[in-house]
Parts: sequence; C-alpha cells; structure tokens
Amino acid sequence: MALSKVRTNLGVVLVVAVVIATLASCSSDKAKQAGHPSYVTSGQFTTAHPNMSDTLKDYFDVYPTHVQQPIAFTHKMHLEHGMQCTDCHKGVAEGPDATIPNVQLCMTCHQVIATDKPEIKKVAAYQKEGEEIPWRRVNWFYQSAHVKFYHSPHIRAGIDCAACHGDMRQETTAVRKAGLDMGFCLNCHKKYKAPTDCMTCHY
Amino acid sequence: MDRRSFLKISAVGSTTAALDACGKPEHHLIRFIPEEDLIPGVAVWKPGVCTQCRAGCGIRVRVMQGEAEVTRKSKPGLISMGLAKKIEGNPEHPVNHGKLCAWGQAGLQVTYNPDRIRFPLKRSGQRGSGEYQAISWDDAIAELASHLPVAGSSGSPSPVAFLTQPLRDHRGALIEKFLAALGAPPAIHFEFFEQTVLRRANELSFGHRQLPSFDLANTNYVISFGADFLGTWNSPVSQNHSYGEMRQGRTEQRGKFVQVEPHMSQTGANADEWVYAKPGTEGWLALGLAHVMISERLRPAQAAGNAGALIEGWSEGLPDYTPEKVERITGVESGRIQRLARGSAAHSPAVAVIGGAPLAHTNGFSNALAVNALNALLGSVEKPGGIFFTPRPPMPSLSTSRNSASVRTLCEGILKGSPAVETLLVFNANPVFASPPAWRVQEALAKVPFIASFGSFVDETSVLSDLILPDHSYLESWVDNIPESGTTEAVVSLASPAMLPLHHTRPMPDVLLDVAHRLGGDMARAVPWKTYAGVLQAAFEELRSHPGSVTAKTDDDFWTAVQTKGGWWSNEAKGSPAMRELNRPPSPTKIVEPAFDGAASEYPFFFLPYASQQFSDGTHANLPWMQEMPDVISTAMWGTWVEINPQTASRLRIQKGDLIEVASQHGKLQAPALLTPGIAPDAVAMPVGQGHEQYGRYASHRGANPLKILAPQTEPETGALAWAATRVKITRLGKKGELILYAGSEREWPSQFQHR
Amino acid sequence: MKRQWGMVIDLDRCTGCEACVVACHAENNLATVGRDGAARGRTMHWMRVERYWEGEFPEVRLRFQPVLCQQCGDAPCESVCPVYATYHNPEGLNAQVYNRCIGTRYCGNACPYNARVFNFFNPVWDKPLDLQLNPDVSVRSVGIMEKCTFCIQRIKQVEIRSQESKQPIADGEIQPACVQSCPANAMVFGDLDDPKSKVSQLARSNRATRLLREVGAQPNVIYLRSVS
Repeated sequence: MALSKVRTNLGVVLVVAVVIATLASCSSDKAKQAGHPSYVTSGQFTTAHPNMSDTLKDYFDVYPTHVQQPIAFTHKMHLEHGMQCTDCHKGVAEGPDATIPNVQLCMTCHQVIATDKPEIKKVAAYQKEGEEIPWRRVNWFYQSAHVKFYHSPHIRAGIDCAACHGDMRQETTAVRKAGLDMGFCLNCHKKYKAPTDCMTCHY
Repeated sequence: MDRRSFLKISAVGSTTAALDACGKPEHHLIRFIPEEDLIPGVAVWKPGVCTQCRAGCGIRVRVMQGEAEVTRKSKPGLISMGLAKKIEGNPEHPVNHGKLCAWGQAGLQVTYNPDRIRFPLKRSGQRGSGEYQAISWDDAIAELASHLPVAGSSGSPSPVAFLTQPLRDHRGALIEKFLAALGAPPAIHFEFFEQTVLRRANELSFGHRQLPSFDLANTNYVISFGADFLGTWNSPVSQNHSYGEMRQGRTEQRGKFVQVEPHMSQTGANADEWVYAKPGTEGWLALGLAHVMISERLRPAQAAGNAGALIEGWSEGLPDYTPEKVERITGVESGRIQRLARGSAAHSPAVAVIGGAPLAHTNGFSNALAVNALNALLGSVEKPGGIFFTPRPPMPSLSTSRNSASVRTLCEGILKGSPAVETLLVFNANPVFASPPAWRVQEALAKVPFIASFGSFVDETSVLSDLILPDHSYLESWVDNIPESGTTEAVVSLASPAMLPLHHTRPMPDVLLDVAHRLGGDMARAVPWKTYAGVLQAAFEELRSHPGSVTAKTDDDFWTAVQTKGGWWSNEAKGSPAMRELNRPPSPTKIVEPAFDGAASEYPFFFLPYASQQFSDGTHANLPWMQEMPDVISTAMWGTWVEINPQTASRLRIQKGDLIEVASQHGKLQAPALLTPGIAPDAVAMPVGQGHEQYGRYASHRGANPLKILAPQTEPETGALAWAATRVKITRLGKKGELILYAGSEREWPSQFQHR
Repeated sequence: MKRQWGMVIDLDRCTGCEACVVACHAENNLATVGRDGAARGRTMHWMRVERYWEGEFPEVRLRFQPVLCQQCGDAPCESVCPVYATYHNPEGLNAQVYNRCIGTRYCGNACPYNARVFNFFNPVWDKPLDLQLNPDVSVRSVGIMEKCTFCIQRIKQVEIRSQESKQPIADGEIQPACVQSCPANAMVFGDLDDPKSKVSQLARSNRATRLLREVGAQPNVIYLRSVS
C-alpha cells in the first residue's frame, strides 16, 4: 500500500518534470535544426530513453491496444477463406520481422476479387496513387527497450502465432493481445527452456 | 477510475500532444509503393567495387530493407528500399582477399552524405558563390549539349576539355571515345599524389609503364624507400594482407622490414629498422647498397640487366657510390649501409620498394631508377617474393593510346588563350584545392566561359561550374575497374548497382551517352550504347573466350555470372606479361642532386606534406567517420597539425598545440604544432586533406591546406609536381591552435610487450 | 555446449591501419560526436589503436596496439555496477544491458583498459546519414554506458543460422566487424574453450600475453607480442 503511494507521488513529480522538460526539449530540437551542431545535449531526467514520449509511455506501460487502421481489414474473413498467415506475412519464417504486406500484394488478388467492396476500392485507390497503405503498427517495442526480437526462431520452435497475437480467426484488424513485456517473454522462455540470458534479446 | 489511472491518462495525453506538435515529420509523410521486394531484417550481400582509392578492391555490400526519404512526382515521402548497411571485402577478390581499409569501410558515408548534390543544378548567382537553382535532367542535358561544339572543318580541335580523376575502367574509355568524336583533345587526368614518375621509371627499367605489385608474402627482406605501402600508397589492402603473411604466415621464416624515410609514416612505424636519410637522397642510398653488394661479390652486377644499365657507372661497380661517399650525402652511416646491403643480399628473396616523397623531388625519377636497379640486382624482378606487374585483361575495348596534357599545361593554355577552351567538363577532380598556387588554377578556370561538373559534392573546383550534373554514388552505379597493381593475375572487377539511387542523380557515363544521342549524327554513332551497363556488357563479351574465374556457355550467362562473382580474373599462375619493347634505348642516368625552392639560410626546414591516413589527398575529408578516426600516429581528430621534432621545438620554444606559421616563398599557413620524435630536426611535415574552403559541412573551414604553400617545382623527365621540394620557415605566433588529440600522452610500451 | 568467446591480436601483423576502428563504427552504430565533442574527449570509439613511442630521433620506434573491451574473465566493471547492467554472460562476454543502465559510470572508472564509453549526448545523424544505421544493433541514447560487444549481433545470427541448419558453428564462422576487416589478418576470433579452434591454438603461442596482466582481470583478448 505504502509502496504504491510512493509510486503515485513519484508519478506526479515525474509528470510535472516531464511536461516542463518536453517543452524545453521541443525548443532545443528547433535550435538543432537551425544551427549545425552534430549532437544535442538532452535535458532529460532519465537515461535509457530517446525521447520524452517513450520515457513516459514506457514508465506507465502504455501501448495502444486498438489501433485505428486506414482500411477495415478483416483477418477473420481472409483466414476463413483458407489463407495462411504466411501468405501475407512472408518474412515470418525467414527473418526478424513478420512483414506487413505491401499494397501490390493485396492487389494481386483484389484485382479480381471483391473489387466492388468500398474497402477494396480504397486499397485500389492507394495503388493507383502509387502510395503504400499507411498501416499503423500494433505490436512493437519502444526503442528504449533495446529488444531485438526475431520471429524466425520462434516459428521454427513451433510456437503458435496465437501465443502472442491471439486467435486471429476471431479478429478484424489486429489487436495487441499480449502485454509483450519482459515477464510475458520470460514465462514462455522458462517454460520451453529457451535461453534467458539478457544477451538473447537485449543488444 | 482511480486517481492513479487518471494521472496516467492525463499525463500521457498532454505530453504526447506536446511531442506531436514538436514534430516528427516522417510520421506524416506519404509512403510510396516500393520498387523492390525485400524481406525486412534479412540481409542480402551484393558484390561491388570500391572506388575510394585507385587500388580497385572487390567489396560486398550488405543490403537491407529500410525507409528512405525521397521525392516522387515532386511529392516528399518515404519509400521502403534496399539500403547499403555495411561494406566488406569480397573474399574471392584477388586484390584484397575479403579485406578492406578504413576508407573503404567509410564508403557508406559517401552515399548517405548529407551534402550530396541531389538534383541537377544551374548556376544562379555569381560564379563561385555556390548559388544554384534546381533544373530538370532534360534541361540539364540540353544545356550541356548546347555547349559542346564539334571540331571545326579547318582541323582546329573542338574547344572542349575534360578534366577527370584517373579512371582505370570503361568510363575512361567512353570519355575518350566521346572526346574523339567531338574532335577534342584527350581527357586530362588529375590527382594530387600522381604516380607518373614511378610509372615512367618502371617503363624504362622493366618495360612496364605501371605501378608494381609486391609478393611480400614470400619475401624475406623488404627495404622500402619512403613508400607508405601499409597506409596510403599503391594498393594498401593487398600490401597489408601480404605483409601479415610475411611476418607471421610462415612457420620457418619471418621477413625483415627496413624503412628509409625522412618522416615516420604509419608504414615506417612497423619497420624492424627505421632509417633516416636526408630528403631526396634515397637514390644514393640505393646505389650505395648496390655498390656494397657488387664490390663484395654478394650479387653479380650484370644480374641487374637493363635496369642496371640505366645507371651511370653500373658496369664499373658504381665507383661514385662507396659507403663513405653515400654517408656524406645521405647522412646514413657507412657501417649501416654495409650492414643493410649484406642483410638484404643474405636474406633472399629480398625486395626494394619506392614510393611517396622520394619520387616527389626534382630528382625523383633518378631515385626511382636507382631503386629499380637495386631490385634487379637483388634478383627480385618477377620472382617469388619480388616485384611483379599485373597483366592487363584481354579487353581491347579499353585501349587508349592518346597522350593527355596536365592540369598545369591546361591552365597555362587557358591563361594564354591558346588553345582555346570554351567548355570544361570536370569529373571528381579538385585541382583548385590540390595544386600549388603558382599553377593559378582558379584564375584559369575563371576564364573558361562554361564549366560543367559531374561530381557528387560541391568542392573548390565544382563550385566554379555553371552546371552541375550530379553522379550516382558508387554503390548506386554500375562500376568496373581494372586494378593496376596489387595482384599477379589480370583482373576486371564488375558490379551492378547495390541499391537504387537515393536522389535525382544520374551516372556520368549515362549523361555522356544521353548528350551524344541528343547531338546525333557522328556523335551518336561513335557511342552507340544506350546506357553504361550496355557499354560494359559489350566489353565483357570479349572476355568470355578467355580462360578465367568465370566460364559460361552463352554471353548472357557469362554476363550474369561475372556480376555474381564481382568480376573476372585470369586465375593464371604468377607471372607478368612479357616485357614490352622500349621506345628508346636506355641511356645511363646520373643521380642528380635534389633542388629545393627557398634558400636554406632563410627557409631552414624541409617541408614534407604527406597523404593522410584519414583523408588521402583530401577526398575523404567530408566523411565524419574519417574526421573522427584518430590519425594513428598523432591521434589527432577533426583538424590538422604540423609535425616538429621536440629538439627543434625546444630551440624555438614551441610547445605542443602552439599555433605556428609555416611560410614558404609561395604562401603561408597557420596550424598547431605537434611534437613528435619521428621527424628530423631540419624538417616539418603536414598531412594533406584538411583546409577545405568548400567541401560540405564536415570538411569546410577546418585546418589548413599544406598544398597552398608548395612551390611549383617539377620533376623534369615527366613534368610531375615535385611536392616534397619546398623549404619553409616556421614562426611561433604566441597563441594556442586547435589540436584535438585522442590520446593524452605518448605512453611507454607496457613491459610485457617488450621483446625477449 | 559451453563456449568462451575470445580474440587473439597478433601485434606482429598489426600495421595500425585502423580499418578495425571504422568497421566498428559502421557495424555498431557508433555516433560521431563532432569537433566539439571530440575536443571534450567524448568520442564513442569501442576500439582504438594505441601507439607508443620509444627512443629519440633518429633511433626511434613506434608501436601500435589495438585495444577494445578485453571481455575479462574476472571483470572489474561487473562487480561495481549497482543495477546489474553489466554482467557476465554464459558465453563469457561482459555484457552491457542498456535498459538497466542508469549511467553511474562506475564501470567506466573501474575498467583498467579504458574500454567503456559514455553517451554524453543523444546521438544525432544528419539526414540521410541515419540510413547507414545497422538495424541489428540498438541505437543507444544519452546517459548510457556502452562498449565493445564482440559484435553480439553477429554471434546471435550465426547461432540462429546454426540452429536452423542443425550444423554446429564452424571455427571462424563468426567474425566481429574488426576481425572481418583486418587487412593484415592480425585478429582472430573464436571459442577459447575449444582446444582445436584457431584462436586457442594461437593463444598457446609463446608470444601470447595479456594487457595489464598484473591487474588480474583475466582478459579474453590475447595479444601476441611483436618479434622485433
């Protein structure tokens, strides 16, 4: 009880400090652009974060869970039609990143499929303009977490996508299901006797 | 909602709002559809060719998906594209064996340099003001084409001059074809540390007008006269590689290395024995060694053959070069001369190397002939552990026979008004920065009515141009290169672009082809290719019938295979091509005294500029990694310095970091003093490379340029600049200069490293 | 399988060319601090080439010695960290966990080799120089201590590849950026616990020594004395 009170009070102090520092850092950013020094001294109170926003969000474990996407994409429908995750997320077994497909990949099918649907028309319009769909990331780590996450070893180890991403057969646009904090990762690593050395992920 | 949650939410809300206002513009940018399909986070290694110096090392470029800010259809946005992330050596390449030097590593910062010119520019302000406006490529090419008059019917040549860095590739051949079709004189090649003197000497001594390669891996004794062969000279990576093998690659033998030079270089620091000889007397020392070998019958005089016959008195056993006489001239003790001669003769195979300052005296040519004769006497020519000449690949498309003028004669011509130069094209050559003031390069260029430049950066020369047609970086271009040295095989390196261009640039050879097609007629017929890739593909077809590292059934397969490999090499056993016939019978040469500009009484110090480990001749001064890499000897960063012997300094009451003025008869400069035991008391040395007035944010207005106080002394045989032939005086200015040293003091070698 | 990563640097081969210094900058996202930062001694080199003068002109010698984190077996930096940001990992590396670091700089003080550097600034790359950044390596921010990792990202990638192909990691397959670049082949990296590896063979050479042996930090970087 007492502990949580300390933390709350600390939070208040932090918030005040942060808002002031934010404004200060904002003006120093402008100064940096005008002049030419190749570095800036940060006015930040903490060490491990590149900017104030990350500092705060990280401190309070804030990640948006429901992200508004430009297209009302539905995972559910695509999976119901027999598609596999890897049909679109092609990099998942090969590298660190699962890959968000680009608009060209969408249009290889939607050139002919469901072309009259309003959402598909939006996709086609992006392609016509030569623009990528501005998808917003759902699952990521703040830079200050210094995490290097590789999908491929997890896929190879037979970890189901749903273990972290939830059952996408029930979802439209993706939702951040797991906390993806270190406790979440470590529980699983311990369960499967995967390495728990810090250097496995943090470098 | 409890109080804590409320706090969390309101705090995060307000702060993020404030931050968003602060602005991360990339979050609002359009994302364009990528032009290539890459898996994020997965690296692809693409073969490439390094162009950071002339050695022609093969590289591999690590390409990964990333997001670059670009402009498409005049809209700014982000595009996901393959980006070069790291450069390494190509392990299969015969020159560098998978290794790469600091300059090569820093190649990324050429491509990503914030000061790169991003689109074609037309001058809008005064010449030299650096004020330009962006124009389209169509307009730029039309503008250039309108300034390229063809030769007159009366036989007067076209008033077009092309000034370029030396090119050992098909770009050079293409430029020659282009100029020949215009009826213009051949391209003028310019680099400050030119090697003309050594090439000419090698032509006379050995029949090869080219730089030598050394089989150090099999050598037992190296005696180098001024050559910084482990740092900046010739083919450094290749030479470092074989040097390592010479020292520790063989279990039974460790090669010995003696360096003779007036100022300790990075190479000299590695020598087992460091010998100081007075500047410009290296030829005497070489012949002094030869004298001992001949007179003590350690080696037969006739073993030197043609190279020996070039030296006056060789057949009589060099009576003028007794150790005592040589001691008087060079300052090297006679006993030491005898010891070195006996040592090198006893440790066969031995090899002699000459490069750098000894060639840059007024007697540089005779110094080179003397060392060549010594090499021949040592029996090292084209023998394992000796000196070799890299064969040329069988590519007739490369042959260029026209002799070109020098920058100096070009400028003299312009200032005289004959031959007329109406249009000057400049490609990666910066003579305004890298020439002695007496050449009056800037003044001459100011008189040229139209100058177009192809470089990627605005430097002291290209800022004078009326039109800038920026080139791709070498990671974005088709690149080929024929190494002049560094290997005993014939090599042609080749690479397709490792990444798509970042900016609205266009490769110089493609611009020439576009211009030729716009001019039409004979011009278009002389260079029928659409792109430089087409030029290369046609040229490589000539190679397929020759045995080498790549074999393929069809031209197309061959073309693909060569690109995958990063080039073609002959895979032949060691050996140089047959000696070429000399175009003049050798007449014996006498070693002449070096002449210096400035009387010793008034200008008491030899002035020794040297190629900097960080910047070479100044080309790399715009790369922050090179600025922040401590020079290995001085540990200086972000600046320049004058090296002074501590004894001299204490006599003149100069302390470390004191600002001093260095003055010659041709100019003066200011730089901080660095006290170093590696320089003679009667000499001062300065690295070349800093002192740019105009070379981007990292290089401009930093340090001093030692070339601006050089006398226009020349080596008479070749007309090359004798850049080590200036004398200077120094004055303490009574204030501190800016000397940023990485290491605080010169500490002692830890005891456990002492040789037992 | 237990491993002990180590490096051998042959001072008889090293020529002081500093290819390793720049290779390290390129691989590990080391920031350049600019003239003013350099003047205040705040450069971020994880690797440097020390040079030592001996004698006076003309009988003068100069020797080079590349120095990086010695990945000590009994590391003075590890015991002083109040937040366990620096610790000894199972493969014998002195690991630095950036997000634990609070910037006390005790470790930098304790390091006898001066191998650790502190981020006095948030690194800034003038655009588009940021495109050179290696996505496999964290970009550290202000207030964090950092140092040579033996290119842990390269070690991890080879480990992942080896798990994928079920092939053991071959000797020499892992090359930190400095080792990869070294033109004179002065540096060798490998598993010191494997008696057959090149690095452990060289480490048994009679020229082998360690920097500042008397400190007793048991470095895993072994120098081979130059002969002359």
